[in-house]
Amino acid sequence: MRFTPTELTGPELDLQAEVREFLASELPPGTHEPCLGMAADHDRQFSAKMAARGWVGMALPSRWGGSDRTAVQRFIVVEEMLRWGAPVGHHWVADRQTGNVILKFGTDEQRERFLPPICRGELGFSIGMSEPDSGSDLASVSTRAERADDGWVVNGTKIWTSNAHMNDWFICLLRTAPMEDGNKHAGLSQFLIDLRSPGLEISPIPFLDGSHHFNEVTFHDVFVPDINVVGQPGMGWHQNTTEMAYERGGPDRWLSPFSTVEQLLREASGTPMEDAVSDLFGELAARWWGIRNLSLSVARLIDEGEAPSVESALVKEMGTRYEQEVVEKLVQLIDEEYSPESESLFERLLAQCVVTFPGNTIRGGTIEILRSVASKGLQGLPA
Amino acid sequence: MTAAPSNHIARITVRTAPEPVVVDELITETADRLFGELCTHEAVQAAEDIGGAPEIWQAFCETGFDLIAVPENAGGSGGTLAEAIEVLRLVGYHSAPIPAAENGILGGWLLAEAGLERPDGLVTVIPPRATEGGWSGGGTCSVSLNGDGTAVLSGEAHRVPWARSAEAIVCVCECNGTSMVVSVPASECTITPLPNMAGEPRDTVNFDGATGQAAPAPTGVEAGALAQRGALSRVALMAGAIEKMCQLTVSYTNERVQFGRPVARFQAVQQHLVWAAQDAALVRMAAEVAAREATRGDAPFEIAAAKLVANQAAARATKACHQAHGAMGMTQEYPLHHFSRRLWSWRKEYGSDAHWSAVLGEMATGVGADGLYPLITSGTAALG
Repeated sequence: MRFTPTELTGPELDLQAEVREFLASELPPGTHEPCLGMAADHDRQFSAKMAARGWVGMALPSRWGGSDRTAVQRFIVVEEMLRWGAPVGHHWVADRQTGNVILKFGTDEQRERFLPPICRGELGFSIGMSEPDSGSDLASVSTRAERADDGWVVNGTKIWTSNAHMNDWFICLLRTAPMEDGNKHAGLSQFLIDLRSPGLEISPIPFLDGSHHFNEVTFHDVFVPDINVVGQPGMGWHQNTTEMAYERGGPDRWLSPFSTVEQLLREASGTPMEDAVSDLFGELAARWWGIRNLSLSVARLIDEGEAPSVESALVKEMGTRYEQEVVEKLVQLIDEEYSPESESLFERLLAQCVVTFPGNTIRGGTIEILRSVASKGLQGLPA
Repeated sequence: MTAAPSNHIARITVRTAPEPVVVDELITETADRLFGELCTHEAVQAAEDIGGAPEIWQAFCETGFDLIAVPENAGGSGGTLAEAIEVLRLVGYHSAPIPAAENGILGGWLLAEAGLERPDGLVTVIPPRATEGGWSGGGTCSVSLNGDGTAVLSGEAHRVPWARSAEAIVCVCECNGTSMVVSVPASECTITPLPNMAGEPRDTVNFDGATGQAAPAPTGVEAGALAQRGALSRVALMAGAIEKMCQLTVSYTNERVQFGRPVARFQAVQQHLVWAAQDAALVRMAAEVAAREATRGDAPFEIAAAKLVANQAAARATKACHQAHGAMGMTQEYPLHHFSRRLWSWRKEYGSDAHWSAVLGEMATGVGADGLYPLITSGTAALG
C-alpha cells in the first residue's frame, strides 16, 4: 500500500478553473438548492451541457465519443460538481462505471451503441445487484436468465434499485447457471437491459423520508437479446468486481456534506462567530485536505496503470465514515431542532444529511465488506 | 442573498503549477538502513534508561544527515527541507532516540538564518509557547543585550528536548520589540532532567544570567515560523511512527492464533487494522504535502492542517493498534510502546488540536464560503 503524493499540473489547473467558471455561471452560489453529493437531482439538460464541454464519459476513448481524458481530469470535474451540489444524477452511473465496463468487456457493437450516447449525457443507467435475499452476499443472486432463441429470458426481482423509474438502461448481474458447490462465483453474467422492456415492472420502494429513490424491478419473462450480454457468460462476478473498483475512492465518497458546510459558512458570514464554530470550519478544512490528497493519489495511480483496489477501499471506508462525522459535528453545533422545510437552506440541507447519510456507509458495498477487502490486501492474504 | 459574479470565482482559483519538489532516494535509503541496523528494540530501550543514545547520534552525524537542509555556507550539509523531513519520518519509523529535528531544521536553521556561530556539539531549541493569537519564543525567559553583541538570558524554559546532552541552547526571544535569535552554551545553564511519556529528554533549563550570542531574527524567522517548523517536524516523526505501529499490528494479528485462526481473520480485528492503515496513510500524505509546500515557501495552511490531522490520527491509531495487540502490547518486551508513547508525546508538542483548529478556523472563515473549497484544493496559495 502506498499513496504517492501528487498535485495538479498546469493544464489540470486550467481545467479546474474552467469547471469553476462553468459552475459559477450555470449555478451561481446562493441561487440554487445544492444537491448532496452523488445523490443528485436528475437533469438531462444539465448533463447535456456538461457533455457539450466533454465532461461526461471524459476518460473514454474519442473513438467511442469520449475525450481521451485521464482519471485525474475526471476527478477534477467530479469534485467540483459535487462540492457545488450540481445536478449530476442523470449521467452519474454511466459516467462513473457503466461506460468503463462496456469499454472493457463489451463488443465493438455495444461500444458503438452505448458509449457515444453516454458521452453525450443522454443515457441514464441503473445498477441491478441487490435482491430480496442478496445484499452484501452478492454472489448469492438468484434472479436467473435462461437460454432462449437468440437471447435470454429473465425472471426474478432486483430491489433497492436507485432511480430505475427515471433511467433508461439497467446493468444487471444475473445467474445464468446454477450455483456450483465450492464456487459460488461461477455461473453469473452481466446484462444490459432496456428499462422499458416488456415484462419489466418498476415499482417504488419509498425512501425513509418518503422520497422516491429506490425501486423494486421485477422481471416476468423479460427477453434480452444476445447482443446485450456484456463480456463472457459466466464471467459476471469478475466483471462486476472490476466495476465495483470504479465506484470506490473518488470524491463522491467524501464530499457529500460539503455544500451543507459551505452553506453554514455563507449563512454565518457577517455575524460574530463563536470560536467553536470557527474552529470546526478549520478542522473540517484540514480533514478534507488530507482525504482529498489520498483520493487524488488514487486517481493518479490509475492513470499510471496501477489497480489500486486496496487504496480505493481504504479511502471509501474512511471517506464515507468522515461524511457521517461531519454531519454529527454540525448537529452538535445547533441548539434546536431543524426541519427539512426550514427557512434556512443550511438547516434544510442538514436535515437531509441527518436522515439520508446513514446510507453512505452502505451503498456500493458496506464498510464491513470494504474492511474485509482492504485488510486482506494489507496482509497479502488470498481474497 | 446575492450571487457571486463568476469573475470572483475565477479570481480565487489558483492556476500556476509550481516546480516539483524531489527527494533524493539515496538519502532515505541510507537513513532507513542506518536506523534499521542501530535502532533495535534493545537499543531504543537502553536509550530511555540513560536518557540518550550517543552511539546512534554519532553514527547519524557521520552521515551528515544531522545538518541536512542547513546551508553549506553555514556549516550544514545542504539539501532541501523536504529531504530533512523524510529523514525525520524515518527517525519516527525506527523510534530513533535522537534530537534530529532540534539539531537540524530547528536549531541549525535558527543559527544559520541569524548568522550565529554553530558549536561542534549538539544544538537544541526552546520550543515556543502558544499564546493567545500567536507564539512566544523564549517561553518564560527574557533576554537583555550587552553592547558587545553578547546577550544575557534569564528565567526558565520548559520541555527543552535533550538539553542535558546539548552544547548550545537556542531560542527566539523578544527584546525591546525586536525578535532576536539567542544561543547560549548549555554549560552556563542549570538543567533539570525530565522525561516525556516515551522516556525522551524534555528538560527544564534555568538560565539565571547565562551569557551567549544574539542576533536579530531575519523576517520569516520569528517565533511563529519556528513553531511551524517544529510542528512540521513532529508531523514527520508521527507519520513514521504510525506507519511502523500499523505494520507491527498487521504482522502480530496475522501470527497470533486464537480460536483456531489468526486473529486478523476476525472482522472486529480487521476494523482496527483498516482504521490504523488509513491513519498511517493520512499522516504520511499530510507530512509529505506539507513538507513539499514548506520547501517552496510559506505553508501555514498545510502545516496547520497536517499537525491537526496528525494529532487526531495519533489518538485513533494508538487506540486501534493497542486494542488489536491485546495484552502483548501492554508489555515492555514488545516494541509497540516505543511508537505509541512517542505519538502520545509528540501530539502535544508544537500545537494542540485546539490551537491548530483555531488557526485553521481563522483561515477558513477568512476566505469565506466561496473560498472554502479552493482553500482545500490549493491550500496556502488560496489565502491570497
